[in-house]
Amino acid sequence: MSTLHPDSELMDLLDRIAAQDDSALKKLYERTASQLFGLALRIVRNRDAAEDVLQEAFLTIWRGAGNYRASLSPPMAWMGLIVRSRALDALRKRTTDRSDLMNELDDEMAQTLEGDMPNPMDAADASEQAFALHHCLGKLDHKQREVVSLAYLRDQSHGELAEQLKLPLGTVKTWIRRGLEQLRTCMARFA
Amino acid sequence: MNITRHPELLDRLAASYALGTLRGGARRRFESLAREHATVRAAALVWQTRWSGLTELQPAIHPAPAVWTRIDNLVQADRAASAMQAARVHQAAEAPSGWWRNLLVWRGAAAAGAIATLAAVVVGVQVNGGLRATTGAQIAALQQQLQATPQIQYVAVLADDKADASMLVTFDPKNNQLVLQRVGGFQEGADKSLQLWALPPAGGPRSLGVLGQDKLLKLVAQEGDVKEVPTLAISLEPKGGVPSATGPTGPVLFKGALIRKAT
Repeated sequence: MSTLHPDSELMDLLDRIAAQDDSALKKLYERTASQLFGLALRIVRNRDAAEDVLQEAFLTIWRGAGNYRASLSPPMAWMGLIVRSRALDALRKRTTDRSDLMNELDDEMAQTLEGDMPNPMDAADASEQAFALHHCLGKLDHKQREVVSLAYLRDQSHGELAEQLKLPLGTVKTWIRRGLEQLRTCMARFA
Repeated sequence: MNITRHPELLDRLAASYALGTLRGGARRRFESLAREHATVRAAALVWQTRWSGLTELQPAIHPAPAVWTRIDNLVQADRAASAMQAARVHQAAEAPSGWWRNLLVWRGAAAAGAIATLAAVVVGVQVNGGLRATTGAQIAALQQQLQATPQIQYVAVLADDKADASMLVTFDPKNNQLVLQRVGGFQEGADKSLQLWALPPAGGPRSLGVLGQDKLLKLVAQEGDVKEVPTLAISLEPKGGVPSATGPTGPVLFKGALIRKAT
């Protein structure tokens, strides 16, 4: 699936980082930063905050690369989870921080579900497991794909999603339920 | 009902659990089932892994180049800190002359290594009776470290009146960059700023810039600003600092000699 970023190459970099090789960290950054930044931005919806998340995530990778092998995950998935976890911390911190109210309002502006559009996801560098998910998500209706993705990426409940996307709660529940059913059937074929 | 006998329901619950939309009592019930049955645990893991693929599928966007600079600075500070830690351990374990030879071992390191070594020298200096007692031999060793680091031409260790090192300053004339690294625990109040001053032999102090709150910060400076300057100092000023012409208005907290690499 990924000839440009074979997992083994990233794993080799992570091994070198575990041995405190900072040139390997630079290489890893060059290879993965834009992918991970896209993820951070999707979650926190604010460039400054997403850059902070990326910075913290790479420091976590620098200090924790020694734990990578034990995770048994594809390297991009392992790093993706680090970014997501840092981004969720940032989101939680921001919701409790009233001084950021204006930013929050800016974010809301960009927070409407556009009409149906082609699957914007980028699977070029994805691991095999992500590629399967990509394939199955591609079969969903755009709005279903969107709410399912946001539920996961931002760790939001039905209620939070409904509020943020300005949709009726019942609609969100239905989209997620239908999306999940289709995905389950589709993913079962890759098991 | 034994959920492990209903694979369809188990799969559905595991998918919602791992997605995060299974909440409240239903989530807690699923969790306790997972603790009892390995099959349930396995189903949850499968879906957690599947969903984690979503993190790989977002459109790539280029971050600002400054982000890498910040990461690199912090990583280098990290390395310096662990080198300091190592130096402390060595000091504790060996005779006073032992750690000194170890410093030389580090010479092969790149810029970061050199900074780390400098930091370690600072620790050594403190232990050996304070910065004011710095001997010619120690300065020579510092200069030797500088020699190994082509870009960095000047270095200063700014210490408080108890001779505790608080700030490491290096100047790289090629990039006109002053790099300041906080090494002590000092943190100014939110309504105050630290300001860096050059204290030339003649004339009053000249401001080199106001420091942000970061552990590691960079200021732009010309070589002329630091050339022939024997001493650097940091004063505590109102937030945002004061104009250079005013001179420091607050107390001078840290001070130290600026050492130039012998060429």
